[in-house]
Amino acid sequence: MASPAVQVAPRAVSSKTESYVDNKRKDDIRMSNITSARSVADAVRTSLGPKGMDKMISTASGEVIITNDGATILNKMEVLQPAAKMLVELSKSQDVVAGDGTTTVVVIAGALLKQCQTLLHSGIHPTLVSDSLHKASLKAVEILAAMAVPVELSDRDSLVKSASTSLNSKVVSQYSSLLAPIAVDSVLSVVDPHKPDLVDLRDVKIVKKLGGTVDDTELVKGLVFDKKVSHSAGGPTRVENAKIAVIQFQISPPKTDIEQSIVVSDYTQMDRILKEERNYILSMIKKIKATGCNVLLIQKSILRDAVTDLSLHYLAKAKILVVKDVERDDIEFITKTLNCLPISNIEHFRAEKLGYADLVEEVSIGDGKVVKITGIKDVGRTTTVLVRGSNQLVLDEAERSLHDALCVVRCLVNKKFLIAGGGAPEIELSRQLGAWAKVLQGMESYCIRSFAEALEVIPYTLAENAGLNPIAIVTELRNRHAQGEINAGINVRKGQITNILEENVVQPLLVSTSAITLATECVRMILKIDDIVTVR
Amino acid sequence: VERLFKDEATEEKGERARMASFVGAMAIADLVKTTLGPKGMDKILQSTGRGRSVTVTNDGATILKSLHIDNAAAKVLVEISKVQDDEVGDGTTSVVVLAGELLREAEKLIATKIHPMTIISGYRMAAECARNALLERVMDNKEDAEKFRSDLMKIAKTTLSSKILSQDKEHFAKLAVDAVMRLKGSTNLESIQIIKKPGGSLMDSFLDEGFILDKKIGVGQPKRIENANILVANTAMDTDKVKIYGARVRVDSMSRVAEIEGAEKDKMREKVQKIIAHGINCFVNRQLIYNFPEELFADAGILAIEHADFDGIERLALVTGGEIASTFDNPESVKLGHCKLIEEIMIGEDKLIHFSGVEMGQACTIVLRGASFHVLDEAERSLHDALCVLSQTVNDSRVLLGGGWPEMVMAKAVDELARKTPGKKSHAIDAFSRALLTIPTTIADNAGLDSAELISQLRAEHHKEGSTAGIDVISGSVGDMSERGICEAFKVKQAVLLSATEAAEMILRVDEIITCAPRRREDRM
Repeated sequence: MASPAVQVAPRAVSSKTESYVDNKRKDDIRMSNITSARSVADAVRTSLGPKGMDKMISTASGEVIITNDGATILNKMEVLQPAAKMLVELSKSQDVVAGDGTTTVVVIAGALLKQCQTLLHSGIHPTLVSDSLHKASLKAVEILAAMAVPVELSDRDSLVKSASTSLNSKVVSQYSSLLAPIAVDSVLSVVDPHKPDLVDLRDVKIVKKLGGTVDDTELVKGLVFDKKVSHSAGGPTRVENAKIAVIQFQISPPKTDIEQSIVVSDYTQMDRILKEERNYILSMIKKIKATGCNVLLIQKSILRDAVTDLSLHYLAKAKILVVKDVERDDIEFITKTLNCLPISNIEHFRAEKLGYADLVEEVSIGDGKVVKITGIKDVGRTTTVLVRGSNQLVLDEAERSLHDALCVVRCLVNKKFLIAGGGAPEIELSRQLGAWAKVLQGMESYCIRSFAEALEVIPYTLAENAGLNPIAIVTELRNRHAQGEINAGINVRKGQITNILEENVVQPLLVSTSAITLATECVRMILKIDDIVTVR
Repeated sequence: VERLFKDEATEEKGERARMASFVGAMAIADLVKTTLGPKGMDKILQSTGRGRSVTVTNDGATILKSLHIDNAAAKVLVEISKVQDDEVGDGTTSVVVLAGELLREAEKLIATKIHPMTIISGYRMAAECARNALLERVMDNKEDAEKFRSDLMKIAKTTLSSKILSQDKEHFAKLAVDAVMRLKGSTNLESIQIIKKPGGSLMDSFLDEGFILDKKIGVGQPKRIENANILVANTAMDTDKVKIYGARVRVDSMSRVAEIEGAEKDKMREKVQKIIAHGINCFVNRQLIYNFPEELFADAGILAIEHADFDGIERLALVTGGEIASTFDNPESVKLGHCKLIEEIMIGEDKLIHFSGVEMGQACTIVLRGASFHVLDEAERSLHDALCVLSQTVNDSRVLLGGGWPEMVMAKAVDELARKTPGKKSHAIDAFSRALLTIPTTIADNAGLDSAELISQLRAEHHKEGSTAGIDVISGSVGDMSERGICEAFKVKQAVLLSATEAAEMILRVDEIITCAPRRREDRM
């Protein structure tokens, strides 16, 4: 029913002759919002693309982070201006939706705001600008969808290509040939054949361990704990044909919820109590041993010690490998992987609740040790990636980059379409929207033309960050697109324009579309604000 | 003269008091004025508290309720906007703008030496006359279900068009109408649950017939249950402690401690068994379910959900037709909830538990998706407004046209009344009609249109009998509102008119403001 109202819009060139409204203050606020939001966008602009630079962030607590990830940079910037904050939120949303393109989305928003500033200066009403932007973004998504190439999940090569495009712009780009396949394999292995469109990234666990280089990063078909085996009492550190129990109770002297105290009145009683304690623990361990269990994963307990020296000693005697202090949050992941059930009471310790694996061993990596469980029988749909790095900064950045790559693959699982990278889609959008704007009439056409122009910022920045002449590159790119080469893009490595699809620079469609829609939504919101009110 | 008040108490009298309240009220009205209408602007609310959180909103009530205000009259306006929000849900800005304008007009009249009481009685007559004028022109399509639904759609779209959802108003109007129609006339919005999940776009929002709980299912328990019997409880699942302070166990050996521990465990087990004895296959607890009971439930094949928030529990009990239980001794007396299917679903990155085919057919869940929390929060507020208005309209199905049409109708009637009324009162009535006109004026101004031109055109249109002309903001001209499908609920307009008049009257009556001395707080720091 809204359609009649929309249809009459074009003829509406109303008698806008002598309206007088005092809007000075409102304009000021809008302009200051736009200016501060743009400065946020400018701050991350240089980190766009494969030759983008990294930022070093020193946080208030003295921690230093080096990153190329837009979402991380913005997150740590601690901006106060409300409009600038919205841009930070924007990059977060992109992170949630697509996981990649967090810098792109902010850069696009910045460019759109710049165009809006000009439009507002020429006296166009903000809501009109906002509505036109919305229309343009809808059209843009349409155009992108038309450009996209469908991809099959079985086509591992294409998936690896898109993952490496994402990795190429990160600190760890030289390892992209290693990390990209890891990302693809780990996502593909957690896809449930019953629900082929859904991937829960929580099923991919990333374990970071300092030492070695990123080269040593590996995909483990099984579990890795960043923990030592408790062998203070000389227990085993390697168990073959393991029968694994995940327990949620404690192997230590009993403790009641009510306050308790044991009254000892003479020496013989003391002896007896000690003996009783020993017997108590021994009987528990016997029960455990009776089921054939030889690996125990013990959940952390705040109520009392999960294991005591005494129980460790007996466990060692019983040749049971113990990993203690497993977080409660991890239990679900672990049980899913091992295909076993958690046991929360010694009475329920039964053989059918155990998980089986070929090998559980403690491996020393760098200066630390991890516990690896491999060859799990009936392994659940989970994977673990062990990330290595020579220092904490590289390690953290490698983790973030890997997360982005995982997200990229996930996007492809959700929406099985690929699109060219290297600025090709943006310049094509710009061209087609520009052509569309010429067909339209009135203010709308003017606004959409600005939208088209704003999109050129992506190839422009890509070229600029790569040290190329941005104007020469962008104009040539435009020219090539006008001649119908819709997949021509900037090849940063060669420093020239080539068919970017042939260069294997591809990205998921979802990343591009969500960048455009989210950026537009955010800009529209900023445009509609005319006042900042301080409240409690 | 001896001082009457304590040291710090202040007193303002007569003209000064009146000025102070006028200024305060008008300032408030001007603050929210720009948010009015489909092209109204939003405001950023920046909190001075911790975290300096930012809210972006277009909702008058939200803006006003978070302001720091010291002016007594301004507080009255904030109050009426709150009441409007509670009563009808929409028109929270209009009511404040109208009250502000009425006071602005009153100020001018007082300057020409008209007594406030005369103004008040004039305003009263005018308000009565305006209301009658509206009553004459209402449309009521209650009998015709088809038409009524289209009326509801129109109202929803009109309400939403001034909010953040304006671009997708078609979609959301449908959502809101569907949700309200399910309520079948009850105005209890409790059973419409709104869940916000960042990610996706606003268009991805959807209405779900059933109930969604944002929680996880316990480890090792079934993820899908058909024909579920649900027990909703609020009970501690750890051991039933002796609740006497200082109670403690005094034993003389370790085995006794173990026995007591065993006894505690048994208590838990007993409780779980009692719960299982209810013949349920889904147990939802507001408090934590610890590992031990969780395992017991898993063994019994029961789906147990722990730590559901209070709101979630109450709603769940409501929609599944169960009762919240806390003792489990008499399985017969506990009312269980039922639903056809419980399963785990994924929205965005999060897993949620979905209860479908619930007992109470009215219940439904609206899942909102959007770019960021700002968008989602604002979308929720907008949708809430629309739902409120719609549920009111279902009860009181009288409908008016929108786009400044009701104001023009009222202004015309009031104008005629002013001409007929002898005496000073007629000035006040005249002023009332001018105040009414500010609403369409503001709508036009906010859209950047030439308000003076438009309003005069509109007035000329309305001189004809039975005109349906109003401001079409989209095209920026005077248009036929019934053709454009712009509708408003009569109840909203009536509430705006009456409460604005009452508030203005109340402020006009004031001739003295006494500020009490603040209570001293002792420095405990």
